[in-house]
Amino acid sequence: MKNPYVPFPMRIENIVMETEDRDIKTFSLSFVHAEDEENFQYIPGQFAELSVFRTGEAPFGMASSPSQNGCLEFTISKVGVVTTALHNMEEGEIVGVRGPLGNGYPMETLRDKNIVLIGGGFGFSTLRALTNFMIDESNRAHFGDITVVYGARKPGQLLYKEDLENWGRRPDLHLYLTVDTGDEEWKGRVGLVPTIIKEVAPSSEAAYALVCGPPIMIQFTLPVVEKLGFPPDRTLLSLEMRMKCGVGMCGRCNIGSKYVCKDGPVFSCAQLSELTSNEY
Amino acid sequence: MKTTTIKKKDIAGFLDNILTEYKVFAPVTRDERVVFEEIGAGSEAILDYQNTPMPPKGILFPQTERLFSYRSTKEIPDIVVPSFEEKQQLIFGIRPCDARSFTILDTVFDGDVKDPYYVNRRANTVMISIGCTKPQATCFCTSVGGGPFSEEGSDLLMIDCGDEYVVKVASDKGTRLLEKRGFEDAGKDKLAFVEEVIKKAEASMGPEVETDGLKEKLDKSFNDPIWMQVTDKCLGCGLCTYFCPTCHCFDIVDETVGSAGERIRIWDSCMFPLFALQASGLNPRPTVKERFRQRIMHKFSYMMDDYGKIGCVGCGRCVTECPVNLDIRQVLDKISRSEDIK
Amino acid sequence: MNEVTKKIREVALKLLQKKKVDLVIGFEKGTLPLRATPCFVRREEEADRLVWNSFCENNLAKYIIRRPERVAIMAKGCDVRAAVELIKENQISREQLVIIGIPCQGMVDRRLVKAELQEREILEVVEKDNELILKGGDFKETLDRNTFLYHSCKTCTHRNPVIYDVLVGDVVEESNVDPYEDVKQFEDQLPEERWEYFSKEFTRCIRCYACRNACPLCYCQECFVDSSSPPWIGKTTNESDTAIFHLMRAFHLAGRCVECGACERACPVGVDIRKLHRKLARDVKERFGYESGVSLEQVTPLATFKPDDPEEFILNP
Repeated sequence: MKNPYVPFPMRIENIVMETEDRDIKTFSLSFVHAEDEENFQYIPGQFAELSVFRTGEAPFGMASSPSQNGCLEFTISKVGVVTTALHNMEEGEIVGVRGPLGNGYPMETLRDKNIVLIGGGFGFSTLRALTNFMIDESNRAHFGDITVVYGARKPGQLLYKEDLENWGRRPDLHLYLTVDTGDEEWKGRVGLVPTIIKEVAPSSEAAYALVCGPPIMIQFTLPVVEKLGFPPDRTLLSLEMRMKCGVGMCGRCNIGSKYVCKDGPVFSCAQLSELTSNEY
Repeated sequence: MKTTTIKKKDIAGFLDNILTEYKVFAPVTRDERVVFEEIGAGSEAILDYQNTPMPPKGILFPQTERLFSYRSTKEIPDIVVPSFEEKQQLIFGIRPCDARSFTILDTVFDGDVKDPYYVNRRANTVMISIGCTKPQATCFCTSVGGGPFSEEGSDLLMIDCGDEYVVKVASDKGTRLLEKRGFEDAGKDKLAFVEEVIKKAEASMGPEVETDGLKEKLDKSFNDPIWMQVTDKCLGCGLCTYFCPTCHCFDIVDETVGSAGERIRIWDSCMFPLFALQASGLNPRPTVKERFRQRIMHKFSYMMDDYGKIGCVGCGRCVTECPVNLDIRQVLDKISRSEDIK
Repeated sequence: MNEVTKKIREVALKLLQKKKVDLVIGFEKGTLPLRATPCFVRREEEADRLVWNSFCENNLAKYIIRRPERVAIMAKGCDVRAAVELIKENQISREQLVIIGIPCQGMVDRRLVKAELQEREILEVVEKDNELILKGGDFKETLDRNTFLYHSCKTCTHRNPVIYDVLVGDVVEESNVDPYEDVKQFEDQLPEERWEYFSKEFTRCIRCYACRNACPLCYCQECFVDSSSPPWIGKTTNESDTAIFHLMRAFHLAGRCVECGACERACPVGVDIRKLHRKLARDVKERFGYESGVSLEQVTPLATFKPDDPEEFILNP
């Protein structure tokens, strides 16, 4: 019987400081044991529980694409006990990982569709994983138009600057970056994500809208997305809740009868509207 | 074998015999309270009690459980999972509601994902329950799919018939246990007599909690102001969840001394204020009202959706132990009858 | 129906009719024998739910904390003391509160009564003068209520409300018992004996926090036991962590606890919590001449500093 609580070890290979306020880092981890790598088959949108031994465990969305072999990436914002401990760690140190957990994005359903990815701030990590997965050589042909709308508070807070540059150069991806407030060097759009989406007005025909970000951004983005013609079953959200076990047993992360760790974290708006509870 | 008998005066000897092979938990008196504890001799078990205030769920789902230990240095930590006990264990004298509660915990811990700590213990456990010839006024097991002589979750069910117990066999485990000890079938007469005892006990049970249509009503009630009213007096302490045989929420923490550490699972409660608090500061259930509603919805609606079972066995402990006498039966009744909820 | 119940209903009705308050907090009949339960009356027709009997054991001051509306509260001696402290701590203003003071003859300890009857199930209780008439399936027993009062009621020195807007019921004679008799005896024991006693008590604690939540003076938005950042104490039933929980809570309540016993009544496993709190209450009384909850003017000594303070610490770093 597999013990769902025991993590396997991974080594921190690389740490990238993502933001100018120094609160968000992306960790690249490598597998210590080959069989763990073989067993770890994941899809974009899933998450894993990272253990800092002697401190605790916390859930993080996979920021890497499954097409990136040999390593897993997690983008971590320093907000609490475990994340602060992680931020204090160095390359070469060991963390524990449990996963992959969650349902991930519905890759079969998204095949051959146009995909509109809308991310705000820190919530962009799993959307980045999905984007990298879709534009990988072996996958690109399976998806239609890809539109990415991504906003941060300030230019220095944008994550994955290298990826953003690469994406910007690709003809097969439409990238729209925005910031709430610009600075002297920023030449791009300025405006909140919902506003930019209104301007960009991506087509909803045979398209899915995937939204991920802080609750307030989602609150204002959903009506815009709806108005553009995306029906609730083609609008997907990736939700966050406090989690512990990650496998639907500790009773903590539920919204109504659904557990965000097991039945989510990806839910369509249609699914969410059927739930009794609005506690998220 | 379907039924057998055992004289009350022989119970201590029966348990002594079982102790040669099993670890035995039975109700004992400790500091003027009845609790389930491991016994060393059959004579320690008491038979004449109503129900333990604290349910025996801690025997299979301990309040504190070490998931694994490790020694953390700069190298790869050595993770040591505690070995699962091989010795068989037996819980004697449990009430049918409590025996049934384990079948509900099974749906959580022994589903698609298995909790090896609980599952291994459960597989190694035999349950001998004693039916309730005198259900209490606070018992409402019959309202939630159980009964004072329900066999669900039991391997053997003992029925008090004066100076002896009639023992109904409820599983293969039960049959094997009895056959090994030379018990023989008791015959049809005993069964008939026992049916009378059972009928009398069930008839004596108090007013039922209406569970027909309750889930639908609860689902519609989610945003109704009735929840504010029923939770006015709730202290938000968490006592009800600890005393509930089907409550299973837990927390996972790391405790360390020096470089050695343990990952420990401990009971937690959805009633506690920081239960669902996110690191960002957002708390989806910020007040007692949301937390109490979550508790009721989880037991009487969400568990129905997820597992097809009501997450309550009607033992009545939350009713008797609540410091402010917040009565779950009254709450459910109020919501069921409310005409404002459509 | 007793006189006090009748009067309370009249007072509550009048207050609601005249719109002097938005809410009356009192007690109503419980769903179990030997229980009354807190009751929240907002409409005139609900005033008839209110009762007064020997089972009104909860401290209702718990429910007035940070309320925005005007509230009337049925308050026995200990409830009023808690309300006084809450007013001083700015958790509610005096103007918002209408105190319906009730001189109290003590509350019956339901666990003592149940223990007396052993495992026989009590189905009905009727009160007559000082008698409790208990009826079960096949028995009827009469007990003297005064033998079965809570320990906190037997040692209570403030049965009459120290302040009130309306007084319901006759003033009762204050007891001249020394409330700290048993604390003093306990203090005379050796440190090892005292530690052994409390260690044994704490092994029973299951960390349900009923004691903390029942206490009217425990109202921190985030209690130190819940905090994980930093984690002040562990959340398991480890003896050391449990001991720290009780000891620290006692210190947080020093000079504030009104010794009402709500903690003990809530505790489902019978931990002797009050002894700790009363020890500190006695120390505060002896060192600072302060008794909590009896005066709206006196500020609790642990929130005050005076230059002539007997403790020299601040003056001589």
